[in-house]
Amino acid sequence: MSQGPQPQLPSGLKRFVASPAGRAFIALLLVLVVGVVFNADQAFFKIGTHRDTLRQASVYGILACGMTLVIISGGIDLAVGSVLALVAVCGAKMAIHWGWSGWLVIPASLVVGAAAGGVSGVVTARLRVQPFIATLAMMVLARGAAKYASGGMKVSTAVQNADGTYRYVDVPALFRAIDTRILGGNLSMVTVIFLFCVAIAWIALSKHCWGRYLYAIGGNEESSRLSGVPVLAAKTCAYVASGMFAAVAGLCQAAQEQQGDPEAGAGYELIAIAMVVIGGTSLMGGRGGIGLTLLGVLTIGYLDKILSINAVPEAGRLMLTGIIIVAAVLTQRRNRT
Amino acid sequence: MTMTCNDRNSVMNQKTILTLAALSLAASLFNGCGKTDSAPPGGDAKTEAGGRAYTIGMSQCNLGEPWRVQMNADIRNAAEKHPGLKVVFKDAQNDTLKQRSHIEELVGSKVDLIIISPKEAQPLTEPVAKAMDAGIPVIVLDRRLLGDKYTCFIGADNKKIGKAAGEWIVKSLGGKGRVVELMGLMTSTPGQDRHSGFREGIAGSDIEIIFEADMKWLEPDARKEMESALSRFDKIDLVYAHNDPGAHGAYLAAKAAGRDGIKFVGIDALPQEGVAYVQQGILDATFQYPTGGAEAIEQALKILKGEPVPKETVLGTRLFDKSNVAQGGQELK
Repeated sequence: MSQGPQPQLPSGLKRFVASPAGRAFIALLLVLVVGVVFNADQAFFKIGTHRDTLRQASVYGILACGMTLVIISGGIDLAVGSVLALVAVCGAKMAIHWGWSGWLVIPASLVVGAAAGGVSGVVTARLRVQPFIATLAMMVLARGAAKYASGGMKVSTAVQNADGTYRYVDVPALFRAIDTRILGGNLSMVTVIFLFCVAIAWIALSKHCWGRYLYAIGGNEESSRLSGVPVLAAKTCAYVASGMFAAVAGLCQAAQEQQGDPEAGAGYELIAIAMVVIGGTSLMGGRGGIGLTLLGVLTIGYLDKILSINAVPEAGRLMLTGIIIVAAVLTQRRNRT
Repeated sequence: MTMTCNDRNSVMNQKTILTLAALSLAASLFNGCGKTDSAPPGGDAKTEAGGRAYTIGMSQCNLGEPWRVQMNADIRNAAEKHPGLKVVFKDAQNDTLKQRSHIEELVGSKVDLIIISPKEAQPLTEPVAKAMDAGIPVIVLDRRLLGDKYTCFIGADNKKIGKAAGEWIVKSLGGKGRVVELMGLMTSTPGQDRHSGFREGIAGSDIEIIFEADMKWLEPDARKEMESALSRFDKIDLVYAHNDPGAHGAYLAAKAAGRDGIKFVGIDALPQEGVAYVQQGILDATFQYPTGGAEAIEQALKILKGEPVPKETVLGTRLFDKSNVAQGGQELK
């Protein structure tokens, strides 16, 4: 009673709560509390629910890894959803129709993603087109390429013969391997792939000079150039990396659907951006990190799952998602003092 | 120095944007050309009874959906059987105004008949009426227009199909069971009709809908919703999805969870999708949502020969299940 109006927290905890990671963590905790309260007949406490949440969030999360790199460099990549579809179609063609082994399909898919990202990167960094416009163009272009490569149909295990009849081929081993579970069925393989991507992005951002360049460019591009940062190369590489992460996401998507859908991934870029921003990475560039993105991925992933297990109707879901995103961001703001 | 540098860059920016715009224009033109197909090759050949060659314009609202790709394929296949019948295909890429200008183009090039699968009713009613005024008969496929200024309408009835699915489900579950319903976009008419028809079909039975969710026609969403249903309910007898990709997504979710003994029912029955799933033992049944492509060509020929056609044709559905899929399904009245 005789103490001041503010309850005194231990200084370590206080510092954590005030840090960006602490704020993102509180947002996640808030969502988890909602889940505990609205647990849908105990469904929220089953391990399977959490495994499925992580599986569902993984494809978005992989896109968010690339998005984090690009956003930290002060850019944005709207093309990731379309590149995902392009790689899903190409990957399915290679793996299902042509029967290539995974050792060929994976590098070939990464090349497709890197090429798409490379074009965005060159147009943005070298030709100085606004990243928003350059990647918007790539978003349209890659979607068109996906439709062209697939002939407008899903690339599935029903393969059309020359005479119009269908023959059925097995789901390729690569797809089965990606859409499997480990640890006694308690962890989806795509989640492992997602965490692997997070690790790569973390090494790039925190342990490699390229990461420091990206922060510097996002902070102030002109002064980084003057202090000798290879701006062109570093920025282009960020888009190439984003394209490659989108390629990984595309293979994961195709494996989980057992087909390459040219319409896949529409709107995923916005979810990936939301995950990055909810984590606390600044859209202005220069500030943020992959750990924050991981928290953002979990926050949105759990929110989605909680609304789903409670069978909330679509209209309510959209409104609640909007409200909770704003609430999460506001929580971050209040703790900033 | 900085100024000149910036100037050069801004010029470059403009150039790049212009180039991109030109490229995308070129791409869309190329795309259009690719879609404008004619059947048979050398369409001016002599023909059919009347000895006249006919050109039919087909205005498709978008080719993003496999079902519409199938509709065009059905029209092409049916037309190929009649030498001298040439079909010009247009794809409006889900743009109402583009479809409107396609109709105007077809009228301008004086085709003998127009088949339109309209994107929406209001804005396309008038262009179709103008085509009729110009003396070109118009067959409306799948979605309706306002009023009655067209030659005839051919379409399927989602409510009837939903009802047929409901009745089949009652029969195959022996009148009672716990069912999950994965709905198509519930703000769309097909989603609403496949839902209300289904509820009509199961009315009076002891079928219990334990979980329903909007999966927006999308397979990944269906898988996600099914996972939620699986973690909430230990016993599920059947999943009814408003389209085949939805049923397929639900099947993958159940299989990943190691849950057996669940039946899966879908709608649409495209050859490479739903029918293939039934053949592979993934779905237990699927109900065809017919494209009407073949029927449109049939009626077009009658119209061109001056024979009468019904103003309205409601297509029936076909059931594909394990027992009949090899024989090409079973017609339901």
